[in-house]
Amino acid sequence: MSEIAIQATEVSKRFRIYHERNQSIKAMVLRRRRGVYEEFWALKDISLEIPKASTYGLIGENGSGKSTLLKCFAKILVPDGGSVSSKGSISALLELGAGFHPELSGRENVFLNGAILGISSAELNRKFDEIVDFSGIERFIDTPVKNYSSGMYVRLGFSVAINVSPDILLVDEVLAVGDAEFQQRCANKFQELKSSGCTIVVVSHAMEMIKNLCDHAAWMEHGQLKAHGEAQDIIEMYLRQVAHNTGEPYVEPKPEPEPEHIAP
Amino acid sequence: MAERAKGMVIHVKTLKSNELAAARSLLVNLTLRENRSKYKRSALGWAWSLVNPLATMLVFTFVFRFVFGIEAPAGDPSGLQNFGFFLMCGLLPWNFLSAGLSSATASVVGNASLIKKVYFNRSVLPAASVLSANTNLLVELAVLSLALVVVGQFVFLYLPVAVVVIVLQMFFVLGIGLTLSALNVYFRDIEHFLSILLMLWFYATPIIYPITQVLDNPRLSAAPIRTLYLLNPMVHFVEAYRAIFYHLRMPEADTILYMFLSAAVSMALGLWIFHRVEARFAEEL
Ligand SMILES: Nc1ncnc2c1ncn2[C@@H]1O[C@H](COP(=O)(O)OP(=O)(O)OP(=O)(O)O)[C@@H](O)[C@H]1O
Ligand SMILES: [Mg+2]
Repeated sequence: MSEIAIQATEVSKRFRIYHERNQSIKAMVLRRRRGVYEEFWALKDISLEIPKASTYGLIGENGSGKSTLLKCFAKILVPDGGSVSSKGSISALLELGAGFHPELSGRENVFLNGAILGISSAELNRKFDEIVDFSGIERFIDTPVKNYSSGMYVRLGFSVAINVSPDILLVDEVLAVGDAEFQQRCANKFQELKSSGCTIVVVSHAMEMIKNLCDHAAWMEHGQLKAHGEAQDIIEMYLRQVAHNTGEPYVEPKPEPEPEHIAP
Repeated sequence: MAERAKGMVIHVKTLKSNELAAARSLLVNLTLRENRSKYKRSALGWAWSLVNPLATMLVFTFVFRFVFGIEAPAGDPSGLQNFGFFLMCGLLPWNFLSAGLSSATASVVGNASLIKKVYFNRSVLPAASVLSANTNLLVELAVLSLALVVVGQFVFLYLPVAVVVIVLQMFFVLGIGLTLSALNVYFRDIEHFLSILLMLWFYATPIIYPITQVLDNPRLSAAPIRTLYLLNPMVHFVEAYRAIFYHLRMPEADTILYMFLSAAVSMALGLWIFHRVEARFAEEL
């Protein structure tokens, strides 16, 4: 039995869907209530073990709870039922935006983010060049990040998240925004991290990427765990189901044909 | 029910020591950032933090000393009698309270993008706001002390007592700041209420007038008024600052006791409220 990096035990998460929300004392006094809401279980009894040094993919349709589960792993959300326990430092890169402060420059954000992830400023100073190098946005490092393109945002966020040498790296969706070159660089970096014992959890709709990257995968549906196991098998099951739902025949993916022309 | 109880395990789990160390270094970082950004884009830089109280002092001295004719009492035993100094000893701690509470209240909502994307000890946000305002107070008090030394008041003897008073006031402000920053997530108009509250609170504190104007005033001698007036912790904080910097004497023992109690109650309440709601910040913001 290998070591477990993240253990989720019957994790459930409930959200409030507001039909009317009184977010001021004035409105609350006038209407005599805080709001009208329904409860909605975004996660229901998810039990999952993520082995150390594995690369774990989370797949499933939109709104199935992947991001919510990842946020529970990252301790950003606290489950309403069950518990999550994890071993080691966690670095998360969630949806667009790495937790940057829009008004601050890229440089300041690197330091702020490093501090939040618990890195000393001495170590950050040492790693700063490496982080900026990897992101490839030296020219814009002193520009406020609100002026970054979405790709640049992700590049910098990702560079910080991986260069602080986390034990667990959580990545949600973001890599698709990077260009081909950056995606290749990330893939290489993932391999490097993995061989140094880092556990990686990726949420993505890019099945090719999950297939190339991950050894395990879990399939979520309506806040529940539908299946988990070897990445290959899970992805195939998932694609079969998608094909079934859309009425298209499921085709075995073929190796890509060689391109005919490549510009010199 | 059982489900809920299990979820609680995470809430209750105490902070590990490395997590505490990380929170401390983050606190220092955020405080420095706030200090730096406050005066970054201004030619005078740090000097601004002194211009503001100086301008207020000139205006208040003109209005209250010369128009309304309020006399500053003579320092006992220092013998100093100067409305400007008298005013500053109350105004500086007041400015700390006012600036600290305003920025702490906005701190959690203002950092929504961070809270939704990264995990860190959330209470660090209001704490950094209060600490940054506190740095300002320290600079201003240092300048005030230098000015007092120039006119012959050797305040440095009382430095250790001053430190105690400053630390107690800092915890007092932090406790309220924690409460307001958490409530502001649910009620976004807390900031408006705060500005009204601060206005009333300012006049309920002996800053522009000596405390004797209230306590020795026959029209205000009814017991409930006096009791109510003395319940205000800021009355005691201002009296303590005045004792040290203006009168050059130790604050009364019951003043110190009252400051200690206010700081403890404020912190206990603030931490309790903050920890009750912080788990839901990421989804409520
Ligand atoms: N803060 C919130 N308040 C209320 N409902 C929320 C909140 N966050 C997520 N939800 C709901 O929880 C469900 C799961 O959302 P989640 O973001 O986890 O989906 P997802 O699997 O990541 O989808 P996608 O593939 O589109 O990223 C959705 O129905 C969403 O509306
Ligand atoms: Mg998502």
